[in-house]
Amino acid sequence: MTNEQGRAAATSTRARTHEPDDGEHVAQLRMTGHRVLVADLRGETIRAVTGSMVAYEGDVTFKNAGMGGGDGFKAAFKRKMTGESLSFMEVTGHGSVHFAVDAQHITLVQLENDTMSVEASQLLAIDGQVRMDVKFSGLRGATSGQGLFTTTVSGTGTIALLSAGGPLIALGVTPQTPLVADPDAFVAFQGQLNQSFVTDVTWRSAVGGGSGEAFSLRFDGHGVVYIQPEER
Amino acid sequence: MVMEIENGKVLKTTITPGAQLTARKGSMLYYRGDVRFVPHSMGGGGGMPGFGAMAGAAGRMMQGEHVAMMTVEGQGESYFGHDGLYIDIVQLDGANQLTVEASRLLAYEGYLQTAIVPLTQQGGMRGAVRGAVTGQGMFTTQLSGQGSVAVLSHGGTFSLEVGPGHPEVVVDPQAYVGHRGPITVDLTAKVGFRDVVGKGSGEATQLKFTGQGTVWVQASEQKF
Repeated sequence: MTNEQGRAAATSTRARTHEPDDGEHVAQLRMTGHRVLVADLRGETIRAVTGSMVAYEGDVTFKNAGMGGGDGFKAAFKRKMTGESLSFMEVTGHGSVHFAVDAQHITLVQLENDTMSVEASQLLAIDGQVRMDVKFSGLRGATSGQGLFTTTVSGTGTIALLSAGGPLIALGVTPQTPLVADPDAFVAFQGQLNQSFVTDVTWRSAVGGGSGEAFSLRFDGHGVVYIQPEER
Repeated sequence: MVMEIENGKVLKTTITPGAQLTARKGSMLYYRGDVRFVPHSMGGGGGMPGFGAMAGAAGRMMQGEHVAMMTVEGQGESYFGHDGLYIDIVQLDGANQLTVEASRLLAYEGYLQTAIVPLTQQGGMRGAVRGAVTGQGMFTTQLSGQGSVAVLSHGGTFSLEVGPGHPEVVVDPQAYVGHRGPITVDLTAKVGFRDVVGKGSGEATQLKFTGQGTVWVQASEQKF
């Protein structure tokens, strides 16, 4: 089977079970190609979107992480109340597990004692050191159909983000260069950013003659905004 | 006859006299040279062993393992693609068979043998149950001989080896593309109470591969 650059798969991937154990091993999330995420597990637990496993080897179990995505009752309650519910499963064991969702591109982001706000539907997996929570994100969600709350991930570790339509685009924001983004293309942001909602509703869009860009997200401050090349 | 991937989604084939190609009907994108496309003769390419050609073709349609194919012959270059799906080329060395769903076949070299085999051949009733549960149907397609096969997938594929050191590979039925070599396929159902009440991990039924060979998996759970 031939594979070439830009394909989902490059080489046959294997569990690295024979490496010496370095004590405090953190589950290794890595990519094979652009659309397949591999987790090498040696007893650790990672969390991934329910149903996203495409193949695995070894002794691995999949368990529903519960309503809070594995972050306890408070998170579960918030999730239930806010509608920002996304079902996660806990993946534990020894072996290698492959994940993929609808051929979407996957990007790994390292968090170093950091917080990131993510659109819940674009979060694929997080490793054991990262926590998930739900937070009020302002009024933007009310009209963009995404709910009033966003999911935040925080801690130190790796998260895997999904982007439909192509690779994720990272856009830097500084106080001199604020950014305005389409809510349907927004995936995540990181840093000291202030998010606000921009409306451009005129009599024209009210009667159906608008440009289709009536609602936008504006980011001010210092940080990075991640955008996908397809609108949800 | 040479098969190459032009880009991830377009297959380039070189057609020479005496080396024909079988391709999915309507999948030709463009060609150069003197190339002819002939609808596949009924029941051609093997069919059900022990049946006549007509019966084989009719049987195929009923089984849902029927995708209209055409024969490509002449001299020139022909390019194929289908629905913007990714294409992978699998080589068969004559010793091993490739098992794949008929709907995933884009093209194969003309002298390969195809056969529609009931899933019950691979594990009796369990095979039939597997087909019913995974939505694969009761039949699948096997290719044997020496040559190349172009296989379609959503988002591209990756391959996993099964054999010494990797005794067991488990694949989501929706992401499974095909397998090559003497491999036993089993349906494993880890259906617990949580799955019944809708709180499962979404990985309740899985395909388990043991033996010796290669399994191809696509980066998506979309079937077509």
